[in-house]
Amino acid sequence: MRKEISNDLRGKFGFTASLLYLVTIVFVVYKMIGEMNPAVKSAFFWVIILFTAINFVSQSFSTHMKKRKIYLYQLYDPTELIISRLILNFLKLMIAGLVLVLIQAAFTNSMVKDPLLFLTGFLLASVGIVSILSLVASISIYSKEQTGLMTILALPLLIPVLLLAMRISLVSERMFVDSSVSNYLMMLTGIDLLLVTLVIVFFPIVWKS
Amino acid sequence: MKQLLYQLSWWKYLSICIILYVLIAGFLIPLKPGIYSFTPALATEGEDVSLKITGYNTHFESSGETNAWLKMPDDRLIKADSIVIKDEVNLEAYFSIPNNLPDISNSGILATIIVDNEKDGYAIYPQGFRVRKGTVVSSENAFQDFYELSEIRHVDGIAFPFRNILYETIRNTFFHVAIWFAMFLLLVISCFYSIRYLRLGSYIDDLKSSSLTTVAIYFGMAGIITGSIWAKFTWGTFWTSDIKLNMSAIALLIYLAYLVLRNSISDVDSKARISAVYNLFAFVCLMILVMVIPRLTDSLHPGNGGNPALGGEDLDNTLRMVFYPAIIAYTLLGIWMAQLFYRYKRLKMKIKLKE
Repeated sequence: MRKEISNDLRGKFGFTASLLYLVTIVFVVYKMIGEMNPAVKSAFFWVIILFTAINFVSQSFSTHMKKRKIYLYQLYDPTELIISRLILNFLKLMIAGLVLVLIQAAFTNSMVKDPLLFLTGFLLASVGIVSILSLVASISIYSKEQTGLMTILALPLLIPVLLLAMRISLVSERMFVDSSVSNYLMMLTGIDLLLVTLVIVFFPIVWKS
Repeated sequence: MKQLLYQLSWWKYLSICIILYVLIAGFLIPLKPGIYSFTPALATEGEDVSLKITGYNTHFESSGETNAWLKMPDDRLIKADSIVIKDEVNLEAYFSIPNNLPDISNSGILATIIVDNEKDGYAIYPQGFRVRKGTVVSSENAFQDFYELSEIRHVDGIAFPFRNILYETIRNTFFHVAIWFAMFLLLVISCFYSIRYLRLGSYIDDLKSSSLTTVAIYFGMAGIITGSIWAKFTWGTFWTSDIKLNMSAIALLIYLAYLVLRNSISDVDSKARISAVYNLFAFVCLMILVMVIPRLTDSLHPGNGGNPALGGEDLDNTLRMVFYPAIIAYTLLGIWMAQLFYRYKRLKMKIKLKE
């Protein structure tokens, strides 16, 4: 785990590039659209987060993993490896999300109405997003058309998590009152647990070759 | 030819027989008589009203005495004073609606129209006729001459239930719904082989699993096409932005990605292993998609938001008689198709190895 972090810090260019990409996109979109109502704003938030996540998760699994695969394989247990990867990517996604929220708040001059709910929703959703993307990324390094395959595989799988997250963030923007929002959080937690276990079970199988 | 027939095992004959049965029974068994439409749609307490009723599959003319009734929410019946029969499906019933109806609110009550005779049994239009509260409430002509539900005649026979809006499209249960059920069963079997591949590592299991998934994709497409044709007749469009429709489209996308994945990996070993993993993962995501997401919003699709579907009166025994065999038949047919796919793939692999 510590090794992973130090590895990642060495290659931090990739992540800062993703963050820069995020900031640029936000800037471009706000220049193009101008005023946004909360629904568009949160949809936009999730789309950007999704693409940023695809961006850096695929990076973390492709570039240096391909080169150092045998080395990593000899050194670590794959379960350990995937858990540390999940945690790391999760932290990255949290940072990206916070940056995005702050930029959006700066552009629209209004903070999310219910930050606590929004944060909980975002936290749970990013666990799901990161675990799906990690598995898909580790699958798609076997293919020649890596990035294309990654989006094809990941997007439909991500839709349930994204729809739930979207609903939660709309409630947190006070677009409408939904009494079953705690239910959605529960569902998302359940899905997260399921996905994380699946990824931890499946990753070693995908990894060995 | 004779040899070819010999090679088919019993369950293939079984599936052919059941599919023939499903087609014949599913298309030839008539619907129960029902009420297609009526005018006017509302009346007031104490009013005399003449209801023009159009039936469906009814025999007003050729049957004996025909009665018309209005069923109140508390299951008591008002009988029509007189009936004029025009032809087999049209009649006009004269009701004098009494005053002081029980449990009437300001918006009125919704009465069920029932027509019964000896040949058809009863035909109903559930809760469609609104009776408004009268302005003058006198005790004269009050609600007294009521009949009990036992007055209504019914005829036993094999017929599919008549549902307003659905009409003849209720037969789609044997195709659309049954095909999706079969698809799920095929996917479950496919997952079983995927797990077996991951545990034992035999290519045969991988080929079996991928053949089953391919067939399941075809079934999914067939399900969407039959559903879409059904939607054209009941909702008026081939596709709506309904949540359940979109979820099924996404499910199809997930599995099409499976095919892309298999084609994009050249190494046989990693192809088998990775597609097994993705197959299992996709199945879990499909389950989440089908179980969780439709609860987020209301849907037009039967089975959601109070629309009729598999349950209660809507799947009655005559429908079950065809629906359950249809599921079995399609599953067997799917396994048969998967077997052909599997043999083809195995031969291709053998040729490749020889080269």
